[in-house]
Amino acid sequence: MTRRAFLKLSAIAGAVLAMSRIFKHPVVSASPSLSESTGNSGIEEKWIATSCLNCPTRCATRVRVVNGKAVKIIGNPLSQTSEGEVCPRAHIGLQVLYDSERLTAPLRRTNPVKGRTVDPGWAPISWEEALGEISARLKSLRDRAQPHQLLLLLGLNTISDEDLIRRFGDAYGTPNIISGDGLESEAERLGRWMADGNWSHIAYDLGNSNYILAFGASILESHKPVARNLRMWGKMRRERPDRAKVVVIDPRHSVTAAKADEWIPITPGTDAALAMAIANVIISEELYDAGFIADWTDGFDKYKELALTDYSPEKVAEMTGINADTIRRLAREFAQSRLAIAWVGTGASRWPNGSYNSYAIFCLNALVGSIDVPGGVTYQENPEYREMPELVEDETARAGRAKPRLDLRRTGRFPAAEVATNQVADSILEASPYPVEVAIGFNSNFNMSAPGPGRWDEALSKVPYYVHIAPFASEMAQYADIILPASTFLEQWGYDHSPPGSGFAEAKIKQPVVESVGDSRAVGNIVFELARRLEGTVASSFTGIGNDTEGFVRYRTGTLTAWKEFYEKGVWVGPDYKYGKYDSIFQTPSKKFEFRSGNLEMRLKQVGRDGNGLTTLPHYDSVEFLGNEKDYPLVLLTYQPLLDIENGSQNYPWAQQIFLVRHGIGWDNVVEVYVETASALGFGDGDMVWVESPFNRIKARARVFEGVYPGVVAISRGQGHYAYGRWAKGIGVNPNEIVGVDYDHLSGQAAFFNTRVRVYKA
Amino acid sequence: MARWGMVIDMDKCVGCQACTIACWEENNIPHGSPEDHKRWREIFWNKVITVSEGRYPTVSIEFISMPCMHCDQPPCVTVCPAKATYRREDGIVMQDFRRCIGCRYCIVACPYWARNFNYKTQAEEEYDRPDPPPDRVSRGPWPFPHRIRGVVEKCTFCFHRIDQGIREGKKIGVDVVPACVEACPTKARAFGDLDDPDSKVSRLLASRTSIRLREDMGTHPKTFYLPR
Amino acid sequence: MELTYAPIQGKSRGYRTMLAILIALVVVLITSFLVAYLMGQQVWGINNEVIWGQLITLDIYFIGLSAGAIIISSLSYVFKREEYKPIGRIAVFMGLLLMIGAMVCVLVDLGRPEKFWRLFMYFYLNNMTSLFAINGILYLGYILLMLLYLWLILENRIRLAAIIGTIDVIWAIMVHTGTGAIFGLIANREILFTPIKPFEFLTAALTSGTSLLILVSIVTFKFTKRAFNKGLVISLGKLLSYIVILLLVLVFFDKLTHMYFPSREGTVFLFSGPYWWLFWVFQIGMGIIIPLVILFHPRLGKTVKGVVIAAASVVIGVLGERAALVIPGTAYPQPLYPGQIEGIWGAAGVFPMTPWETLLSLGIISLVALLFVLGLKYLELLPAAPSAEAVAVPQPEPSPPVTDASTKETGEKLD
Repeated sequence: MTRRAFLKLSAIAGAVLAMSRIFKHPVVSASPSLSESTGNSGIEEKWIATSCLNCPTRCATRVRVVNGKAVKIIGNPLSQTSEGEVCPRAHIGLQVLYDSERLTAPLRRTNPVKGRTVDPGWAPISWEEALGEISARLKSLRDRAQPHQLLLLLGLNTISDEDLIRRFGDAYGTPNIISGDGLESEAERLGRWMADGNWSHIAYDLGNSNYILAFGASILESHKPVARNLRMWGKMRRERPDRAKVVVIDPRHSVTAAKADEWIPITPGTDAALAMAIANVIISEELYDAGFIADWTDGFDKYKELALTDYSPEKVAEMTGINADTIRRLAREFAQSRLAIAWVGTGASRWPNGSYNSYAIFCLNALVGSIDVPGGVTYQENPEYREMPELVEDETARAGRAKPRLDLRRTGRFPAAEVATNQVADSILEASPYPVEVAIGFNSNFNMSAPGPGRWDEALSKVPYYVHIAPFASEMAQYADIILPASTFLEQWGYDHSPPGSGFAEAKIKQPVVESVGDSRAVGNIVFELARRLEGTVASSFTGIGNDTEGFVRYRTGTLTAWKEFYEKGVWVGPDYKYGKYDSIFQTPSKKFEFRSGNLEMRLKQVGRDGNGLTTLPHYDSVEFLGNEKDYPLVLLTYQPLLDIENGSQNYPWAQQIFLVRHGIGWDNVVEVYVETASALGFGDGDMVWVESPFNRIKARARVFEGVYPGVVAISRGQGHYAYGRWAKGIGVNPNEIVGVDYDHLSGQAAFFNTRVRVYKA
Repeated sequence: MARWGMVIDMDKCVGCQACTIACWEENNIPHGSPEDHKRWREIFWNKVITVSEGRYPTVSIEFISMPCMHCDQPPCVTVCPAKATYRREDGIVMQDFRRCIGCRYCIVACPYWARNFNYKTQAEEEYDRPDPPPDRVSRGPWPFPHRIRGVVEKCTFCFHRIDQGIREGKKIGVDVVPACVEACPTKARAFGDLDDPDSKVSRLLASRTSIRLREDMGTHPKTFYLPR
Repeated sequence: MELTYAPIQGKSRGYRTMLAILIALVVVLITSFLVAYLMGQQVWGINNEVIWGQLITLDIYFIGLSAGAIIISSLSYVFKREEYKPIGRIAVFMGLLLMIGAMVCVLVDLGRPEKFWRLFMYFYLNNMTSLFAINGILYLGYILLMLLYLWLILENRIRLAAIIGTIDVIWAIMVHTGTGAIFGLIANREILFTPIKPFEFLTAALTSGTSLLILVSIVTFKFTKRAFNKGLVISLGKLLSYIVILLLVLVFFDKLTHMYFPSREGTVFLFSGPYWWLFWVFQIGMGIIIPLVILFHPRLGKTVKGVVIAAASVVIGVLGERAALVIPGTAYPQPLYPGQIEGIWGAAGVFPMTPWETLLSLGIISLVALLFVLGLKYLELLPAAPSAEAVAVPQPEPSPPVTDASTKETGEKLD
């Protein structure tokens, strides 16, 4: 081609291009509006009221379903527990529902070897085959008069499913219905129970409170009911003329501490000492509510004596690392702000001395009269569901249930425990008091969430037959012989109510918003089916309560509300909360608030122990740490960030992308170290480090910053999955791997925070 | 004509990030992966940043939830060659995906990192839903059901909700709000007409000190913050 | 003194090998482009922080080189300096090709390359406050002008070429200050924001254009066995040194303004952050200091070798300067809120060199080289005589007079 032609061609080409575009170019209007499409035919849209189950708060939600696909989840404005609000995890329900790696069919294990990294060799089988096999096993166990060797492990399930599972266990004849509560806040409950006889998570009337002294409480991240806390936070900080003051006592600068008015770091494990010192000041300066103390409490003299003698602010200042003047100031502020709440958080209760921490802190509420008054501690009312017909039981069941329980509750080991979850692993390994033959796990994942998860691995390997029922194959499912795919909470019927917090009762429905994905079935329906197949008294116990989960929910909520109203509205709200019920709320020997626990004395007597001296008084019990200070100079604290989904999996990109807001980090978790500690140990922000305890070690990324008490390192829970989920596997670390096994021996609560570690550069 | 603005209360905000997630949910934004996170390619129409100050034990942090500021003098509109981003009469800075050529000049020019470039065609399972909801079927500025990659996207103050709300005669800022405002559990966010003296936003701005981010840039953002 | 031009034969093995390599690299270019087009820009190093990468760096670099080359070519055609005649045509041709290369860079860099035509639309349809749009029009005009200019030169219509050349030079200045304005007017990016930026760009264009012209001319003449006028090289070197001083002054004042208290974080990031070496080693070191040292050296500055080394240093240094603008300019984390921003929002941007993007850059450079090499063969760009001596720069010893007849050896085989 000649250059002339080349030049000519390019010129023409350019011109043509320009011309064509001029004529074809559309004129765009300044503000294009949407097409008229709301009246589109062929598009079906509805809003369905249900509730969430990504954490135990169980908020009421509404789900928007378009053409059979759930596309949006928001709160249900008719729910008063959180005034229609939900926390971010509710939205992640969509990813839980449409998780592409969910189980779609029952699976059987083909590889007999069980282990953490062993491929089980799952082979799909039919429901018929699976249920047939399981019920055969259960039946044979019962026939051999060994029903107590069935272990039922409960993770996070609906309350309706839990009711069904417990009924099943009772009818079957096993005492071993073990929930995950023993990992949560049992010590908190015991501490409170010691004072007023109510074994429940403490409810605080946040909306009306003026001062909150939070001991180790992650109010804005994990303390249930989370959504209520979030809503009330907004309310009490900016929607009232009186702004509530919040002081957080915690070795870690948590999100709650960051948003509070004051953060007071404390030597780990010494919360009871601080509480008693505050009591000391309040009592010595006579700032306590004399009327309430005189009329409605018992044992005040002993308490007063103890506080004044042993817990002077100067003495406690040494123990806790908090200035004596600060202690005095806090005490005065606390007593003089009407009303003030002393809040027991897991940071204070998941210790070997947790029950006493809880007791000591709880007593502060009584000291200033914050019991069952607006702004104080409230006594949660729960929906009164219709009573189920009496259990049909036979001799086998009775004998089985009379056997000692695997978690050794109410024995000399855990005299006042309701459930000591973490003990079960050891009991299985020691085959004491008896071996376990069959275990069924309902949405449980203790192989991640319990301290010393290696023991759970071994224990489950030892159990001859384990059935795992969940929507996905978590770490615990690795040991299953059969996995049954359960529906998620968006595909099943159920009723739920939130943990204590609102005061008034509120029941929430769960109903399917879409068809069950794959071949999954609701947990409740699986229980019904198993009961039917077992025939006899077990099956009889499951008659007359509705034949499936829908029927069951309808049956149980029949006393509360009309069925149609319930599933259309999604919630039933009970009558307004009434305060000041002093003549009925104290379930103690003296029928009053007890500064010296008669209840505990009674429990201890039942196991042949004495209840004298300090044992029944709130006091500071020094903590024995696991690991000596010389070799392991730092204390390991773990915590639960808001985006930790509590259903056993973290396979949710929306949660992962923004996992730790405090550090602006996603898809990872970090070990938080104080700046000077890190520089002394020779590593910086972002370096990989080993965190080693006397039990194990993990490699994590270091986050060096100012928000951590110098003698402590903090690691968030929720990451470190290794078995399930391409968005969760191999990401971050699970600090439970290196936490030692210890308990608050009164309540059986697993202690999470008394392990010492050392940290060094990787 | 209304002038839509948003007010975010930094005191009530607790950094829960429900706003970020609800926005992803509402606008069908594909999620990222650990790889995308490391390479900083995830799409955030609303992001929550954490700013820290101080030394132990007097540490302090702020959570600042940042949607698009919807500036009255938007630098992105100034620099977009194809008029793909433009300011509507009601103040919302819109993004027309069909006009965008992906030159990314607007991302350079935005002082708030409000804009995101879409680097890859997302796999089906990375969407929360592959089809848009009925009131959003439109070939106009709304992103295609499967976003085309190679264009820039950002927060739109949920214009689709506002436009439909106006059509249905609802009260914007009361009955109809953007997804992030709806999702906030502490009710830290408010949305409404800045030119209406009776709206929630106007009243909030009157009752408290408000700040805007990077005031010295002179962008006149319409997202206001109420400090603690 | 009339000079005739002729194409090269293009039959030597060296030529063919080079052609083969370049064609192979252009194939790589097309492949990389298709990969990026099909898989998305995720295969490149760009991310939400460093949003412009190798391609935009290369783009502004090429525009600079092009403008520089055109302006130097004006010495020959507009200012009628006879001694620059031998390289005049090459300069214009280089200008055209580099601009085409720049346009390829821009087109390939777009998220939606098929919509590139939107950049070149008429005033009322595009956003005239956007410097991208204004530049689009400027670039289009510039290419058309250069095509015209080149054609006129090849047709030997010198007088018309002078007029068009003048317009082209002014247009080139507008083009490159416009490109500079793309960056200089962005207020929120401290490293980019300065009114001097357009002038810095223009000056850097002149230094790099001149240097590339020196290098290309010498290499081309050497490979085609034409003698190169030493005096021409030295005088170009001198010109280069003056422009580099001007560049130094501009850069100095730009950075001084930014480093002056308060409000200097962005510039401190440029100086001492992770990309400090782009600024200090390339922009300042290779782009300014080394050439000045060489060119002002009493002995070195007067040798061809010295000038060539200085020119090579400038060519690389100015590429580094462009990169020092684009990469740290956007890598600096924006101060969204006072205080330390945690996590990714407060971290400095990272720009990895990814294989596909690098291949793409190499490919585009090869495309320009390929077109140049083809042009040498098919267009009359080089002086015809193997030992062409244009009117020499006045020297102490005048060379022996030569006549047309004795030296005109058209069509002689050269390689």
